Amino acid sequence: MLLAQIIVNGLLLGGLYGLMALGMALVWGVLNIVNLAHGAFIMLGGYAVYFLFSELGIDPFLALPLAMAAMFVFGYLLQLLVLNQIVRSAMLNTLLITFGLDVVLTYLAQLLFTADFRTIAPSYAGANFTFLGVTVPGIRLAAFAVAWLLAGIMWLVLSRLPLGRAIRATAQNLTAARLYGVNPRQLYAVTFGIGAALAGASGGLYGMIGHLSPYIGVPLTAQSFVIAVIGGLDNPFSVILAGLVIGMAESLAALYLGPTYANVISFGLLVVILVLRPARALRSA
Amino acid sequence: MRRPWVIAFVAVTTVAIALVPVFGSAVLIQYGINALIFATLAQSWNIIGGYTGYASFGNSVFFGLGAYGTAIAMTQFGLPFWAGLPLGALLGVLCALLLGLPVLRLRGHYFAIATLGLSLAVAAILSNLEIAGANIGLILPLTRADGMFFELALALLVACVLCVWWISRSRFGMGLIAIREDEDAAAAMGINTTLYKTAALMLAALFTSIAGGIYAYWITFIDPASAFDPTLNVRMVIMAMFGGPGTVLGPVAGALVLSAVYEVLANWISTAAALLFGLVIVLSVIFMPRGLFALIGGIRRHGPGYLLQNVRQHRL
Repeated sequence: MLLAQIIVNGLLLGGLYGLMALGMALVWGVLNIVNLAHGAFIMLGGYAVYFLFSELGIDPFLALPLAMAAMFVFGYLLQLLVLNQIVRSAMLNTLLITFGLDVVLTYLAQLLFTADFRTIAPSYAGANFTFLGVTVPGIRLAAFAVAWLLAGIMWLVLSRLPLGRAIRATAQNLTAARLYGVNPRQLYAVTFGIGAALAGASGGLYGMIGHLSPYIGVPLTAQSFVIAVIGGLDNPFSVILAGLVIGMAESLAALYLGPTYANVISFGLLVVILVLRPARALRSA
Repeated sequence: MRRPWVIAFVAVTTVAIALVPVFGSAVLIQYGINALIFATLAQSWNIIGGYTGYASFGNSVFFGLGAYGTAIAMTQFGLPFWAGLPLGALLGVLCALLLGLPVLRLRGHYFAIATLGLSLAVAAILSNLEIAGANIGLILPLTRADGMFFELALALLVACVLCVWWISRSRFGMGLIAIREDEDAAAAMGINTTLYKTAALMLAALFTSIAGGIYAYWITFIDPASAFDPTLNVRMVIMAMFGGPGTVLGPVAGALVLSAVYEVLANWISTAAALLFGLVIVLSVIFMPRGLFALIGGIRRHGPGYLLQNVRQHRL
């Protein structure tokens, strides 16, 4: 029964991991930017939901769309005003500037929100039910469902809407997309905004399951990256599935090897995958 | 014709720095040791990241292994510092050889993140080893010889700069630059790219791990969190990029300037120092994407408009 419980925990956590990576995979696939500030965006989204809940009394799940809208505007402006200026320079420069942003956001959060740990705890936070002897926490199940829901919406947008067609065209060939009337500056900003909004949603869910602090960003960035690589950049559902794989692997590693090895497992898995399949074309949306 | 002036300037500056422990205050010496060690780290990163074009985020592994190799030799086997330091260096270079062979097959973002992952993994493994003090860390014998550490750090930096200077004009260095510009073309020209890349990583590991050993003995305490700190690696990359990657003096200048900037900020407004440091990084990437040296050269040639010209060239 312990094993079944561990697997369920891993799966539910993995859905959230997948949602975290979704925004990073989108931005990477379309803009070719590996956003090292992605974890900081998750942190900001978490704080947005936290304050909407604690100051205004809005239910955290209703606050999620509001936080996403705020993060979209933030990401949109950031890409339009700052990142668009250096998109065409060397790869290392995009890594560096997003790292600089990560530092700025982390310490800004520390100044504004202090370094205290915070948890978003609505009245139903502890609710759970038992199914076939396995305890299922209600909030984690809801987070899992939200992850799939957002992946589904993203899949619909990418495959059915004109915006999605423009995004996919830009990811394949910027020049050709431009010839067909796509305005790349706007499109890059919108795509980056969507990525930030997805990060914001996962941050709100993360705040309900774990603790928020200004410093949670860097490990979450690393984790999102691992999942984005394993899942590939073209299909939202495969990113969520990769999240499930990592969530399960971490839970099982924590059970059999001890919790300090959780990181070794996910990064070990990443290195093995990269070395075995280095030529895999990730950039095809 | 500019060359003799540059060499004379560097020589005079080096002598002036070497005299700091004789005349300078204790605070200045402490700051100097730190800045010199960082300059060495940035310069070693320059070998693999600047010349070879492989953005390594795993150099902190070599730093940590150098620190741990020295510390284990001194505390667990009772060896003197002079025997521990080469052992730490050997550990770092061996690690570069073993990790380099598989990981150097990756390119671009994948190499960057695979090395980042390896550094996290090595730190996690070491924090479970009894001989390395597990999570508690190791305490080295205490010595009060800041002057000695200063000269040692300076000597290492000079050796590292001389090595990069040799690279910049040798056949080996030309091979590395060819790999950076176009690896497939370099291979087609008959360069053994695996050999060259691994050798570059091992050279970088050599200097980085010696710097780690010196740092460990100077601080007298190491634990996995401080020895394998991933932000350490990011700092070396930033310093090298700020000065100018793929140049002989750029990374050193970048490290010394940024260390000074950070020190001044920390004294001026301690709470917002890290925040402003982040802003400096963002602005320097936007306005000088090719580093301080390229900026100075560009402004001399094209006037102050070069700043905006840089932005115009790289924006969407």
